[in-house]
Parts: sequence; structure tokens; C-alpha cells
Amino acid sequence: MSGDDVNPAAVPQPVEDVQGDGRWLSQHSRFVQECKDAEPDVLFVGDSMVQLMHQYEVWRELFSPLHALNFGIGGDTTCNVLWRLQNGELENIRPKVVVLWVGTNNYEHTAEQVAGGILAIAELLTTRLPKAKIVVLGLLPRGERPNPLREKNAAVNAHLRSWLPRLSQAQLLDVSREFVHSDGTISTQDMFDFLHLTSAGYDSVAKPLSDLLLQILEETPEERRASLV
Amino acid sequence: MSAGEPNPAATPTPCEDTQGDGRWMSMHNRFVSDSKDKEPDVLFVGDSLVQLMHEFGIWRQLFSPLHCLNFGVGGDATQHVLWRLSNGELDNISPKVVVLWVGTNNHGHTPEQICGGILAIIQVIKNKLPNAHTLVLSLLPRGKMPNPLRDRNAEVNELVKDTLTSLPHASFFNVDPGFVHSNGSISHQDMYDYLHLTPKGYQAVCEPLHAHIKALLGEPTDN
Ligand SMILES: [Ca+2]
Repeated sequence: MSGDDVNPAAVPQPVEDVQGDGRWLSQHSRFVQECKDAEPDVLFVGDSMVQLMHQYEVWRELFSPLHALNFGIGGDTTCNVLWRLQNGELENIRPKVVVLWVGTNNYEHTAEQVAGGILAIAELLTTRLPKAKIVVLGLLPRGERPNPLREKNAAVNAHLRSWLPRLSQAQLLDVSREFVHSDGTISTQDMFDFLHLTSAGYDSVAKPLSDLLLQILEETPEERRASLV
Repeated sequence: MSAGEPNPAATPTPCEDTQGDGRWMSMHNRFVSDSKDKEPDVLFVGDSLVQLMHEFGIWRQLFSPLHCLNFGVGGDATQHVLWRLSNGELDNISPKVVVLWVGTNNHGHTPEQICGGILAIIQVIKNKLPNAHTLVLSLLPRGKMPNPLRDRNAEVNELVKDTLTSLPHASFFNVDPGFVHSNGSISHQDMYDYLHLTPKGYQAVCEPLHAHIKALLGEPTDN
């Protein structure tokens, strides 16, 4: 283990309770508990982009009917998601699809490191859930106007596009082009704080995602049947 | 210019753009330009608890009809709201009621300092909008189980409530419908991350708040 080769975005790490109300661990513990009681076909895991989706109508409309669990925590980086998945959030469940959406909060990491962190999570999922498909959502642009974080998130997506095919079970769904207008701005109609999605903004993501999930869930039993022959 | 120790919670401070996408200033600028062609009767200002309210059905259901504007910014502490209100967000509007909900993000500040920050905001509102009434909402409990931040927020509420009884242009309103259960826990059905409200949590907060604001608008004299 040479120190130079370690990708800091691929190192599992819990969130430190700097504020002192223990909310991060409370949420993780709740998710671990939910694994004991639920039998999800779809697992969503990631940061606030995943978490907030759960609060909008679109979740009940499109994803609840698919038997989906939502393990999103605001502010999480790839390191935090990696830690959660290694510490109980995959116990006792066998989802057919995992939707992974994380990376925009990895402020201390380069685009290459962030993509590597996402790949590490996808690899972990592949190992732990050998039959599951993985849908990685591309990072969205952010900020009202063009800025370095937009470029970085686009670079993460480019790395994912070339690296994810290495994992036969994983695929990228990139809807980032929906959000930037021709003058380079992002609208508060889509992202209320130029990062988090409004209800209308989620519609642009949820429709193609729901179509893809339905397609995957439909194909899964056939593949299983084929493998039994 | 005070000889005493400056209160960081009452010192107008713009949010530093540590992430590098300029979102905080973009939001502030949008609020300033929004306010130029609006004539709100009610202005909501504060942190993410104000901001997120705008994204759920409850806003359109209860507050849009009252001609409300929403100037909430996630993560804001009292010193950030103080800066925003001192730098343009109140310059083009004359709401009758300003609803202020901020303070839970003042990490590292004492209850006295946070109360001081809230009072400084009320003073800026008074200077810019002499006829407006400021309604200060109580800080909610947070965290799944009892913790120091719950105690701190409760102390802020006591201090603010006591101080505001003697101010004619401001009043305190407790918005906690009883989020803490008898075993001391808060449910994720009310606060999905034990801080931010679910649509159900907002419903419980907003219905009495809506009635109270309507009463204030009907009787604009005093509380
Ligand atoms: Ca009063």
C-alpha cells in the first residue's frame, strides 16, 4: 500500500459530528434498521440530490411503486457513502438495481479522484450484490453561471463515461445537459439554490431514470430464466 | 465601534464562497432583483428552513395567496442574514410583516450571541421598514435524540421571547407543534434528517403560522 497510490476519494470515512447533534449517524443507523425490515428491489444511495428526491411527489409517483429505498444523506461525499455501504447499509437486502448519485460534495478531490471514488463504490456494490445492476447518475452542473465546479463535474462525468464500461453491471445516466440554458445560466426554476433541484427540476431526472429502471427490472427475470437453462 | 467584545452573530458578514461556484451571492443578487418588480405583503427571510418551505406544496397553498416573498438561503446564520438585509434585499419593498427564521446554523455561538444577532436583524428591519412588524419564529429542536444543540436552541428561544415582549414592532412565535416525542426522540416523518422538515412537518408548522400572519395582516397595529 504505497501512500502515493491511495485515492482519497475512495477511502471509506464516516462524517465527523462537528455540529454535535449526531444527525449523520442517526440517519445511517436508521438506514441499517430499514434494511432489516424492507425488501427493496431498488436502492437509491448518495447525497442530498438523492435525499431530497424522497421529499417530493415524484418519489411517491415513480419510485415508491418500484419498492425503492432511499439512503441519501445531505453533504455526503464518495468517502461517506463508501463507509455507510461497508457498515451495514447493504446487510439483509438484495436489490435488483442500485441508483448511485454522489460526488458533487467532494470539494477536496480532483475530478479524476471523484470518478475513482464513484467507481470504487460501484465495485463494492458489484462484489456485495453480484446480480444487481448499477445505475450511476452523472453529476449535474451547479452555480448560476459557468464556474470551476461545473467544469469539474463535467470532467467527472467524462471519466465515468470511459471507466464505467469496465464494470459490466454498471451504466451511466447523464442528464446534465438539461439544465444549462443557451446563455450559460442555470435557472432557479430547476435548481432553487443553483445546486439542489426543485420539484420541476426533478422531473427532468426522474422520467428518464424511471424508464431505465422499469426496463432493467423487466429484463432481470428473463436473464435469470436464461441463466437457469 | 463598541468598546465591548464584538458579537460575531451580530456582525454583518457575507458568506465566503469556499466551494467556488458563487451560489450564495447569486441567490442574494436574485433576491435583490426579484424585489424590484414585486410588492409583497409578507417577506420570509432566513436559512434553509425558510428556503425549503418554498419548494413544497404548502407554500403555494398557504403563503403565495398572501403575497409572500421567500428570501431563504440554506446554511445562513444570523450574521449572513444581517448582511443580506443590509445590502439591498429590503431596499425595493415594503412588506407589512417580515417573518424571520434563523439561528440554528450559528455554530460556535452562545445563546446570548445568537439572540443578539436576531435583535440586530430586527433593528435593520426597523431602520429600513419602519412600519413593518417582524415575527420571529422559534428555533426548532434538532437531532434524533436529546443533544446540546437542542438545549442551545431552547435557550435562544427563551432569550428572544423575553426580549421581544418589550419591543412593539416585533414578536415571537413558537412554531414547534411538539416534534419531540415522550421518549425524547424526533421522528424522520417530521424531520427527514432530524433538522429539515418533511412536507408533513411543514404542514404542522405552517397552518398555525398562516393563521397568525393573517391575524397580523388584519390587525397591523400591535401584537
Ligand atoms: Ca412585541
